[in-house]
Amino acid sequence: MTFRNLEFKWLLRISSALIIVGLLVEIASLLWFHPLSFVLFAFVGASLIGLGIVVYLASLVFVASTGGEKHG
Amino acid sequence: MTQILIGQIVLSIVLACIFLIRPSVTNTAGWKILAFIGLCALPALCIVGGMNIHMQRSEQTQFCTSCHAMAPYARSLYVDDPSYIPAQHFQNHRVPADMACYACHADYSIYGPLKDKMRGLTRIYMQYVSTPPVTIRIPGGYDNNQCLHCHAGARDFEENAIHSAAMDALKSNQMSCISSGCHDTVHNVASLDHVKFWRPGQ
Repeated sequence: MTFRNLEFKWLLRISSALIIVGLLVEIASLLWFHPLSFVLFAFVGASLIGLGIVVYLASLVFVASTGGEKHG
Repeated sequence: MTQILIGQIVLSIVLACIFLIRPSVTNTAGWKILAFIGLCALPALCIVGGMNIHMQRSEQTQFCTSCHAMAPYARSLYVDDPSYIPAQHFQNHRVPADMACYACHADYSIYGPLKDKMRGLTRIYMQYVSTPPVTIRIPGGYDNNQCLHCHAGARDFEENAIHSAAMDALKSNQMSCISSGCHDTVHNVASLDHVKFWRPGQ
């Protein structure tokens, strides 16, 4: 197992964790009928999910660049 | 709708949990595709679905009146006096009762919902962070287009001699529907202690 492979797995874990927390916050905001629930959804839930997606996409770029280095 | 979205969220959580516990499963092509679905496509759809549900929810009368500051305005919808314009519209279902606030206060322009949401967030900020105003006022005053959105083109509105004489002034907002001495009894929350209330079903 290479160092790069370990880094990719950690990025995947961080992405998964961010998405799970963000989705749980989204469920809470959907079940809470209050004007603040939109604030909770938009500023906490959606931000965490969005960050998780960005980390996942970054991990894909990371894997692609590592593959490129191997071939180059 | 909410149940479907929650089901989708639960599915996303299950997939994300797999990649949290066993990230090594992404070594195979099939799991790589599943990782893309579980960590990118589905969560993105959950954001879109969540935004849609929150926007729809904020159109409901119940949502608007869940704010403490809006309680007197909600009460004014039940005034037993037809000269109270919001009460008359709400009680006679001239606007959908479950979307009464939205029907008369929404900005019907292209970016209206976005502007309304930003205005709502400003009010939440004032309520919880800065100082809320003693009297709630609509920035720029009440726009006649919010009345004309429904009334323009309606026979009884167009054929009314006063309306037709002042139509240009009404459409250009030079004369307000509610402050020109015509339909000037609106929520009047300051006088609610002295009026009779209608109770549905009685």
